[in-house]
Amino acid sequence: MLDGILLGLSTALQWQNLLYVIAGCFVGTFIGMLPGLGPITAIALMIPITYSIDPSSGMILMAGVYYGAIFGGSTSSILINAPGVAGTVASSFDGYPLAKQGMAGKALAIAAWASFTGGTIGALLLMLAAPTLAKVSLSFQSADYVALMCLGLTAIAAFSNKGTFLKAMMMTVFGLTLSTVGIDPSSGTERFTFGNTDLLDGISFLLIAMSTFALAEALSNVLKPEVKQSAGEQPMQIGSIRLSKAEVKEISPTIGRSSLLGFIIGVLPGAGATIASFMAYAAERNLAPKALQEKFGKGSLRGLAAPESANNAACTGSFVPLLTLGIPGSGTTAIMLGALIAYGIQPGPMLMQDNPDVFWAVIISMYLGNIVLLILNLPLIPYLARVLIMPKAILTMMILFFSLIGVYLVSFNTFDLFMMIGFALVALVLRLLAFPMAPLLLGFILGDMIESNFRRAMMTSDGSLSIFWDKPLTLGIMLLAIVVLAMPLLSFLRLRKAAI
Amino acid sequence: MLNRDTLGALIFLAFFTAYAVFAWQIPLLPFEEMDAVNSASIPKVYAVLGLMFSLLALLAQAIKRQHSSGDGWPQINRKSIGQTAVLLLLMWVYTALLEPIGFLLATSVFLSAGFFIMGERRWRVLLLASVPVAVVFWLIVTKLLGIYLVPGELWS
Repeated sequence: MLDGILLGLSTALQWQNLLYVIAGCFVGTFIGMLPGLGPITAIALMIPITYSIDPSSGMILMAGVYYGAIFGGSTSSILINAPGVAGTVASSFDGYPLAKQGMAGKALAIAAWASFTGGTIGALLLMLAAPTLAKVSLSFQSADYVALMCLGLTAIAAFSNKGTFLKAMMMTVFGLTLSTVGIDPSSGTERFTFGNTDLLDGISFLLIAMSTFALAEALSNVLKPEVKQSAGEQPMQIGSIRLSKAEVKEISPTIGRSSLLGFIIGVLPGAGATIASFMAYAAERNLAPKALQEKFGKGSLRGLAAPESANNAACTGSFVPLLTLGIPGSGTTAIMLGALIAYGIQPGPMLMQDNPDVFWAVIISMYLGNIVLLILNLPLIPYLARVLIMPKAILTMMILFFSLIGVYLVSFNTFDLFMMIGFALVALVLRLLAFPMAPLLLGFILGDMIESNFRRAMMTSDGSLSIFWDKPLTLGIMLLAIVVLAMPLLSFLRLRKAAI
Repeated sequence: MLNRDTLGALIFLAFFTAYAVFAWQIPLLPFEEMDAVNSASIPKVYAVLGLMFSLLALLAQAIKRQHSSGDGWPQINRKSIGQTAVLLLLMWVYTALLEPIGFLLATSVFLSAGFFIMGERRWRVLLLASVPVAVVFWLIVTKLLGIYLVPGELWS
């Protein structure tokens, strides 16, 4: 492992990679601050740029953007009570009241320190967990992968917002169906191309990511402006970013506990930063003494530190299944998986052996990203926060422009842009109907992998489906997927029964 | 009136029905016909799953309706709908004109028209926030990154 860490360090500390992680953190913070835009959009916008650089640098840039976007989301949660991403909603519960009390700088400092510590603990745990799990997963066979992917797809739906399970499942299947467009790689048969040669290669994942996230989010903000504060209004004064010894002492145990909790939740497929932050917030409120419990929601330092450390640790944790099994547990890691596949790199147990530079550089760059956020972004927050007063017209048009031209610069095919506009319209309508977008992306990206692994499994079993229950490991994962799938249904039926 | 969830389920039911029809029409190559899993197998599974979930969603709505009136629609004003529709149209026009008139002109027009649609009326802002962006981006892409961008089929 030490060799790996040294390899990761030597890759991540190359001057151009350091520049990428710094640039990634800044761009991510900038985009993450914009209400309605999250890390998926930020990473999607970066993908066309990363195609022109080597995979390690590309992943380092994207890891920086990811962390930056989470930090940016916290900033807008604290300053204007407008979380840029769902994972930072819990941060606004106490962050915004603190800012209103004239302690915006302090709140941002707590957010940065908690994120840094959460990310650091997460990165350390990732260093320990990923190689071990990668070794274990070397024994996985195609059927196990199919089972794991089914578990990932059902879990992301099960952990979606209350009451949206069936919607999430429909979106997952929608994503899976889109992945079947084009020439079937196994037989060469054309599927769903309708005679259009532009569809022979299938639909690019970049197109789907850009249209369903970047374009649809920008248009959704025009259609349904949720945040009152935008052009012309000044965000509040930042104030001092110093923390007293007593304050550090108060939040330290909270940060430790929440980081650990966040990492564990992050590793679970489908759970991610949002659930981690809410669970950490709830846990800290329950653990706090009675007098401090009442401060929660009114500007509690613990109430801010808990979700901030948990969401960053969860972000790091979500890389464990991606790097070791090649299975993304969230929309953000799904988009990173798509980028890796586009580079010709298959994440999974072999990644550590075949591309150790990428594997370790990603892990080390996460840590570097946290340092950059703390040393550079925090002091620059008063300046970065000016993005919040940028006119909406300019922001919207820039996102539309960069999304369209980003896809064009990769494919040089205007058909892709027409298709992108069509998908953006579909995504916009689905957003209005309250359908979650992440399951679509996850389904689309996992679609090809599920099909190829399923075929391989069936070939090895001579066409017998029993391969999915013959081995205890496969059976166990399959049963878990079925339980996850049945859980929301059972709770719905229980609620109906109670209502009657 | 249909609520959001019912409409969503109906849209997906229609989509998955159409998908199923096409999935069952995927032409198989001669050597595939005897295979346990062929090019059409997985699409058929997805079609069945999609139909199952959309029908379940409709059923859940039917059960819910017996007890509540369902959720409402988000409040959207006509101006926002108009702006969004025109922006979508503008993106379509930009895509159509990108290669015929070239990146620089198409992008400058796209951005300034977009700012105008979004409510910006100061002509200086319209020009200064569009033309320089197009030129700087063009310089970065073509001169710095060495990527070829069409100058415009109409002029070349």
